[in-house]
Amino acid sequence: MMQSEIIEKIRSGGQAELAWIYEEYRQEFLQWIGKEYRCSSDDCKDIYQLTILIFHDNIKQGKLEHLVSSVKTYLFGIGKNIALENMRKEKRYTPINQEKWLKEYLIDDTPQGTDESFFDLAKIALEKLGQPCQKLVEMFYYEKKSITEIATAMQYKNPETAKNQKCKCMARLRKIFDTEMTKPQNVVPHGYQ
Amino acid sequence: MDTNENDILLLEKFFDEEMNATEREQLMQRVKDDEPFKALYEREKLLIMAIRHDGLKNNLGYLQSLEAAMEREPIATTSRKWYYLAAAAITGTLVTLAVLLSRPNDPEQLFQSYFTPYPNVFDPTVRGEQTSPLHSEAFQDYEQGHYAKAADELGALYKEHPDPGVLMLLGNANLMAGRVEEAKQNFITLNDKFDSLDLQAKWYLSLCYLKTGDMEPARKILRELGETDISYASKARELLEKVK
Repeated sequence: MMQSEIIEKIRSGGQAELAWIYEEYRQEFLQWIGKEYRCSSDDCKDIYQLTILIFHDNIKQGKLEHLVSSVKTYLFGIGKNIALENMRKEKRYTPINQEKWLKEYLIDDTPQGTDESFFDLAKIALEKLGQPCQKLVEMFYYEKKSITEIATAMQYKNPETAKNQKCKCMARLRKIFDTEMTKPQNVVPHGYQ
Repeated sequence: MDTNENDILLLEKFFDEEMNATEREQLMQRVKDDEPFKALYEREKLLIMAIRHDGLKNNLGYLQSLEAAMEREPIATTSRKWYYLAAAAITGTLVTLAVLLSRPNDPEQLFQSYFTPYPNVFDPTVRGEQTSPLHSEAFQDYEQGHYAKAADELGALYKEHPDPGVLMLLGNANLMAGRVEEAKQNFITLNDKFDSLDLQAKWYLSLCYLKTGDMEPARKILRELGETDISYASKARELLEKVK
């Protein structure tokens, strides 16, 4: 399969395509990173999972549209950066806390970075938002599904209803977040209010 | 509509990628110059970041369970290089098959992949009807994910007004609250007694069977749905392949 076909397959696909790409390069990647960084089998797998998630995310977010190298080279490059960054932070090889790593990946991605405490409040607000809103906004902003695809997947009458519902969900999320921000234990000087 | 609402609409357009280059540039300039607008922009960015983190975490969980399934089906290795090279071509296929074959043994994972709570398209506030406090509370709790509470309220509501939409949400709320047997009964009633939402009820009933590991009735319903031309048909056929 051509590189562009792989990118298109992931861009338009879902978890089945994520599983496919995971299986496709798993063995080769694990052998390479194990030799290169002497990580344990489990740690190598943790790095591989993060590598695949970043590759997948870069495609979904439109950051990766064309590859100048092969998918394998690109994946090995991400894996190498994750392993080196982890070693730099910890001064030696230590197991990666995957969830924390993903959080830092998102926060560091913004030009000025983001205060972690605000991020945690946003997560609390999202949790309080509940279903089906959570699923809807995730399909839109993370999976980058179109409103038409969301309408079909979530059985809305038409795309307009789905779009309307998405706006209502986001309005509710903002409201919950603002309420969380004004709770006495969370009040700190900030620019969000 | 006040300025704040207009600004939020503007920001939604920006983050939903519905702006052209000039509009984007103008918006970013305003972010630089206008502090209150910058605060709204930062909040929107932060919330979207939290949504993306949730999505990444969900997919991480999915890859972890995939890895666990692959580990349960280890592939025999050999030190003989010639044999390895010969086998290399089929190893990828075996890995894929091992994972695919392991999936029917993990109906819970399949359930998680395919189950999405039925959206509240019956919300009376959307339709502008007059409603009782019980109505509003039940729908609100459902939307906010308080499923056990919503199930109790929807159950009471259904007794008062036997409506298929309420029954559909009741089944989903019971399923989400872990009351699978009650959910099954809800979907069976919806399928038997009502003409609307009956096929949707079948889909959710098949997922109930999947959750309790009753593969045969799950397969039977999925086969039936797969032969229809409703929107669930392709999903049903896909899932049937995985539980065969």
